[in-house]
Amino acid sequence: MPSICFYFQVHQPYRLRPYTFFDIGHNHNYFDDQKNREVLNKVSEKCYLPTNRLMLELIEKHQGKFKISYSISGVALEQFEAWRPDVLQSFIELANTGCVEFISETYYHSLSYIFSRDEFKKQVDQHRQLIKKYFKQEPKIFRNTELQYNNELASVIEGMGYKGIICEGVDRLLGDRSPNHLYKAPNVHNIKSLLKNYKMSDDIAFRFSDRNWSEWPLTADRYAEWVHSIAGHGETINLFMDYETFGEHQWAESGIFEFMRYMPGHVLKHPDFDFKTVSETVDAYPVRYTYDAHDFISWADTERDLSAWIGNPLQDESIAKIYSLEKQVYDSGDKLFIDTWKKMLTSDHFYYMTTKYWADGDVHKYFSPYDSPYDAYIYFMNAMSDLSIELKKKPIPKLKK
Amino acid sequence: MSVKKNRNKVLMFGWEFPPVISGGLGVATLGLCKALSPLADVKMIIPKSVPNFDIPNIELIGLNSFTKEQLQDLFNQEHEYSFHEPKFNGKSSYGPYSKIPENEFISQKFYDVLHEDIKPFEIDDLYAGDVIKKVIEFARISVQYSLRQKFDVIHAHDWMTFLPGMELKLRTGKPLVLHIHSTEYDRAGEHSKNWVYDLEKRAMELADRIIPVSHYTGSICERHYGIDRNKIKPVHNGIEAVKHTVKKSPFDEKLVIFFGRITMQKGPEYFVEAAKLVLEKHQNVKFVMAGSGDLLRPMIEKTAAYGIGDKFYFTGFLNKVMLNELLAVADVYCMPSVSEPFGLSAVEAVQYGLPTIISKTSGVAEALTGSMQIDVWDVQKFAQYIVAALDYEGLKKSVVEANNHSLESITWENCAQQVVDVYNSIWEEYQA
Repeated sequence: MPSICFYFQVHQPYRLRPYTFFDIGHNHNYFDDQKNREVLNKVSEKCYLPTNRLMLELIEKHQGKFKISYSISGVALEQFEAWRPDVLQSFIELANTGCVEFISETYYHSLSYIFSRDEFKKQVDQHRQLIKKYFKQEPKIFRNTELQYNNELASVIEGMGYKGIICEGVDRLLGDRSPNHLYKAPNVHNIKSLLKNYKMSDDIAFRFSDRNWSEWPLTADRYAEWVHSIAGHGETINLFMDYETFGEHQWAESGIFEFMRYMPGHVLKHPDFDFKTVSETVDAYPVRYTYDAHDFISWADTERDLSAWIGNPLQDESIAKIYSLEKQVYDSGDKLFIDTWKKMLTSDHFYYMTTKYWADGDVHKYFSPYDSPYDAYIYFMNAMSDLSIELKKKPIPKLKK
Repeated sequence: MSVKKNRNKVLMFGWEFPPVISGGLGVATLGLCKALSPLADVKMIIPKSVPNFDIPNIELIGLNSFTKEQLQDLFNQEHEYSFHEPKFNGKSSYGPYSKIPENEFISQKFYDVLHEDIKPFEIDDLYAGDVIKKVIEFARISVQYSLRQKFDVIHAHDWMTFLPGMELKLRTGKPLVLHIHSTEYDRAGEHSKNWVYDLEKRAMELADRIIPVSHYTGSICERHYGIDRNKIKPVHNGIEAVKHTVKKSPFDEKLVIFFGRITMQKGPEYFVEAAKLVLEKHQNVKFVMAGSGDLLRPMIEKTAAYGIGDKFYFTGFLNKVMLNELLAVADVYCMPSVSEPFGLSAVEAVQYGLPTIISKTSGVAEALTGSMQIDVWDVQKFAQYIVAALDYEGLKKSVVEANNHSLESITWENCAQQVVDVYNSIWEEYQA
């Protein structure tokens, strides 16, 4: 009985404001509250609220047969609580249906797994607490920032008690095998890897409104036919995508909401098919193959590697320096410093610094709130300089004997 | 698909040409010529050639080299001129090269030149004295000469050579290609509706193709001269590959440099304003303004008024050797031009591995996409980029890496190939 396993990513960073050299030493507020609030309001109206309403409708209509999973970063949840409690409330309502599962991730949507294992564990734990607090669930499945993944991560995550981990189904690792089964890293005991079916995910997330696409316009029943065609040689179609696909990346005018409204009904017409959450998928199917990701993979770009966040001189310097403050930040014992520092670990800051494609003049490939990767880097470096100066001013609290 | 034309015979008109150079035009004309020689037969007509300065495969003809006898021979059978001065319909303004005289004087000049006795062409400084009269004389002689030559296409570099270009196009029906290294709009600004502007506009209207040195300049041709964009084919300049060695600076401070003519067009004022902001935060830095021009004195006064005169070096005009010395020890290069058709000096700075801050209103911004780019009026941002380029290693490295990558395609070979493609596009059109 094959399934569709939907997982939607919800994330909003705390973007830095254009923090200039002239602010250093005077202004210790690095984040662009106004912009962050504006973006959150815009995306809430265009995507989160209408899509949550639609998901609730679908869950009610299909009476438990339509199920979905979310991974919502801690920083996104914080911003919902501060600025859009109505959105937070609508996620809680979804949680209350029993048909929605929440996935574990790093609270700050960070690259900490790569740069500080201690910090990574702290952030995963911090996120678990938050999910428990709002949604009364203990996450059993983990996904790392932007589906960054390798064999070692799978084994570390198994050690932390998870039974499943999410990753990208990368062609070069799959060969001619299908992503529509459960896999396992070569070095783990039981933890199962759920591989994204990028082709069928991207049909919705990227190609849906592309008028040059041969399948445009994609209808719900046509898509359901593709789903049904895996009968007999696949167990789960993992459709993983940014939640902002609905209404933000694909505008409402593209018909994306209508597509989503009717697609589950068409899929469920075939009696053998159903929808499962991530942990139900892990429980339902056995591991069929080994997925050997020796090097890091991710779901970004055509390379499916870390090159969007790491590797150019801007990124390498800023990442190295921000992580080098870790001990100093914790030693200060100052909650505000710690919080500020952690918000600066969010991967988006480094993504905005990417110069891939950009050097060839293709400025539209990457979404960024700044004019150029140089600006992203300069604001980050300036803010970090200020943080570093402030840290030095603060006396280190003496340990009690 | 189209019949590939045999080697194009190009009749080219230039004004500046090494070793007689005044600005970037000469360097660019020479660079293109050299790279074209394997691809086309180029006959290059210039005001002034120097004995023993030859370029392989380029037929170089300096008008100054015609003897009185040769000229008399040519003019024995002088073809009557059809060209007249372009109609002047705006107010006069001044370019940096010369004062543009009133219209009636220009008519007079045409009259004078066309009725003068034939005498050898003499020119000392290409831009001194009565430039317009020299331009008309140049046109008169070179047209007589060219009418007796074989060529397929006429290629003229900047307004000084547009008169013969237009005349020959009208007389022979051969296609005219204009190479735009700079326009009166760049030199004199928004309100530059003078005789030179009119000449440029008429020539552009008549031309079969216009090759501006950048898309930026192409858009000026389109917007300020009203030229059909379909015949505008921008081609970036190249640069001769040179590997420079960076020297250890003898200064304790870091050096931020500006070089070029100190005129409104080059934006020296923004450089001083940005320097003032940088110095509020950053003491360990000095600024060099190399070059001369009508704004040099005002800039010196401005730095004195701001009390930052001790942080500035004004070097005056630097020759190539001295300029290279400066580039070898500098830390950051700035080009805040208000309007810059290309900006080859930024590419020279790149060859020295300097991080570059350039204005968005420059052609070179299209080629050096990884440079820090500013709106010239945004002095805050300009200052920030200077500080960041001084302080943050990652930025410096990143800009230099990106620039080096761009540098690979900024070659005269690429430029020449694209120019030939432009010629061929004319033949394709003729056949169609």
